Amino acid sequence: MRPLPDWLNPEPWLNRNFSASDVASALGAESPDESTLAALLSPAAADFLEPMATRAQALTRRHFGRTIQLYVPLYLSSWCSGGCAYCGFAADRRTDRHALDFASVEKELNAIHAMGFEEILLLTGERSSQADLDYLRECVRLAARRFHNVAIEVFPMAETEYRSLTDAGCTSVTLYQETYHPETYDRMHRWGPKKDFVQRLDAPARALAGGLRFAGLGALLGLADPRYDMLALYRHVRHLQKTYWQAGLTVSFPRIRHEAGGFVPPHPVDEKMLAQIIFAFRICLPDVPLVLSTREGAAFRDGMAGIGVNKMSIASKTTVGGYITGGSRAPATTDGEAAVPPQKHESQFDVSDNRGLEEFCAMLRAKQLEPVFKNWDGVYRSSDSFPI
Amino acid sequence: MFLTVNGEKFEHRGDGTVPALLAELGATPEHTAVTVNGELVFSKDWKSFKFNDGDTVEVLTFVGGG
Amino acid sequence: MKHETGNLKLGGHEFKSRLILGTGKFSDTETMIKAIEASGTELVTVALRRFNREKPSDDLCAPLAKLKNIRLMPNTSGAMNAKEAVRAAQLGRELSGSPFVKVEIHPNPHHLMPDAIETYLAAKELAADGFIVLPYIPADPVLAKKLEDVGCAAVMPLGAAIGSGGGLSTVDMIRLIIRDSNIPVIVDAGLRAPSEAARAMEMGCDAVLVNSAIAAARNPVDMARAFALGVETGYAARQAGLMPKSDVAVATSPLTSFLK
Repeated sequence: MRPLPDWLNPEPWLNRNFSASDVASALGAESPDESTLAALLSPAAADFLEPMATRAQALTRRHFGRTIQLYVPLYLSSWCSGGCAYCGFAADRRTDRHALDFASVEKELNAIHAMGFEEILLLTGERSSQADLDYLRECVRLAARRFHNVAIEVFPMAETEYRSLTDAGCTSVTLYQETYHPETYDRMHRWGPKKDFVQRLDAPARALAGGLRFAGLGALLGLADPRYDMLALYRHVRHLQKTYWQAGLTVSFPRIRHEAGGFVPPHPVDEKMLAQIIFAFRICLPDVPLVLSTREGAAFRDGMAGIGVNKMSIASKTTVGGYITGGSRAPATTDGEAAVPPQKHESQFDVSDNRGLEEFCAMLRAKQLEPVFKNWDGVYRSSDSFPI
Repeated sequence: MFLTVNGEKFEHRGDGTVPALLAELGATPEHTAVTVNGELVFSKDWKSFKFNDGDTVEVLTFVGGG
Repeated sequence: MKHETGNLKLGGHEFKSRLILGTGKFSDTETMIKAIEASGTELVTVALRRFNREKPSDDLCAPLAKLKNIRLMPNTSGAMNAKEAVRAAQLGRELSGSPFVKVEIHPNPHHLMPDAIETYLAAKELAADGFIVLPYIPADPVLAKKLEDVGCAAVMPLGAAIGSGGGLSTVDMIRLIIRDSNIPVIVDAGLRAPSEAARAMEMGCDAVLVNSAIAAARNPVDMARAFALGVETGYAARQAGLMPKSDVAVATSPLTSFLK
């Protein structure tokens, strides 16, 4: 296994003993760095959640005011050629496979836009013949005519391919490394292009070089030691900030919560640890939006909104429906967004927070937070197909 | 010939080369740079270069600066 | 660059001293030379001016040539735009034989603030022409990255207006520049006290450039020595790792009760 590049390797900051006073000092750090993050992620910091939350809230208010940016995911296809051990959509798993045809895509986009959303996240699995680049590009084009911000969470691709999506109106890419631990990564990704650790690692940089304005990073909590992965994730963000200094970066915290289709996460992360991680990131990356999806429960999302987290997705039965799953049981997914089950679905564990937009916004306003749908204008894109 | 040197009219009585002018001015060749009509004359060209009557010459050196 | 140890590296050249000296405003050449020696600096800036037959003592070339281990960095002061700065740089290189240039363009003679646009244009052209470019700039994080992109060897954000002794008034912006820079960050202009130089180094600056604070001190030679100590102190402190501040304040209504 090749060693990690110097800019990424988290080893120098692991296995240090941090005391309570190290944590207290890290809380007030003016120029946070890896040591600050390591201290705030340490076991000692678990006793400091309240002061960490206070500092996280103050920094969130300073950089983002009381706004919470809202977006919605749209699953385009459940076809996947990949072999991720932790995902119910892996190619060898029995599950319904669908890809929305373009007419259905337009129908979904119109419905979502009518609800007031201005930012959409389009998702597919690993590259498949049913949902290949041409299909994706057309979906991006359709979305870009209606939404100011079009994000994709799909498969890694070449810079020229990202450029073609930029030209079609795409503004943002989300791609989680899953884990920055190469041995774990190799075990978890059983076959196919996703087995290539470096190709995935370098993909966000290729996307930014290919003209995309925003990149969302993350690691799937549960796969490997969370302190390792979160330190590496921080270093990945800092590296991109220094190299692609005109890009906007965001960080998400997808977490394996349940035994999804029999997969037991080797390093489960509970809510307290997740909160500690998010507070630590807010303190160490004060001006980077931190994202929490509907995979997390309502109570947790309500608690975290505005104290670190400033961007959240909404996914309800009325946005994406049985088009994807065709009414049958949706297998568990462990990507960033929860798959929304159709109305008839019994097990709701994929979407833990299935509140609709109105209800969610009411909750935010009750906490004196302001839902925001748009913070980027499509008129800045080079593609001239906006708005319709 | 008459030259404008550092903004002032100057009568050059030498052989029309840069070293000759610098000698007239009392400037050390190693410590001066010379432009003629706005163009830098490299020191390697000083032996061959010849002034023309009416040239505008700047003779520059280093002084203190931050 | 953060946590850089060892020598200051600029354009492939290495310097033990992280104090760069300006040579202006000294009352006489002898004091200037002694101050340079006392400071331990290995890089000094000079300006280009017309040779003055009446005041040959203004000429620094001869005295500077006698100093050992000093590199000259001509500046482009006097230039009002990129074109003039490029010409001044070429003259400077011809005269000094040194590839170093401090791009300095301040069209307003009152506040002497650098012209960001002309500086960028000049720096871009000079870097392409093989100069080791150190641009003097407003403390602007975006400008700093753009200059890095076009090949500058370092960026030199001002601490305060030239000669003002205003100190590190731009500290927050300098912090942002340091955070994302891949090239050395050198605070230039406005420093008044060695403690400010130490503070700049503690913050993460790679070097400081000082002129007025030394030249206008009551005893410039001793002040040069003091600045050398200040820079060394600040750098050593940063390498040693400052004890962090403790600043814990807790909200009156708990924010994390939802986690219980």
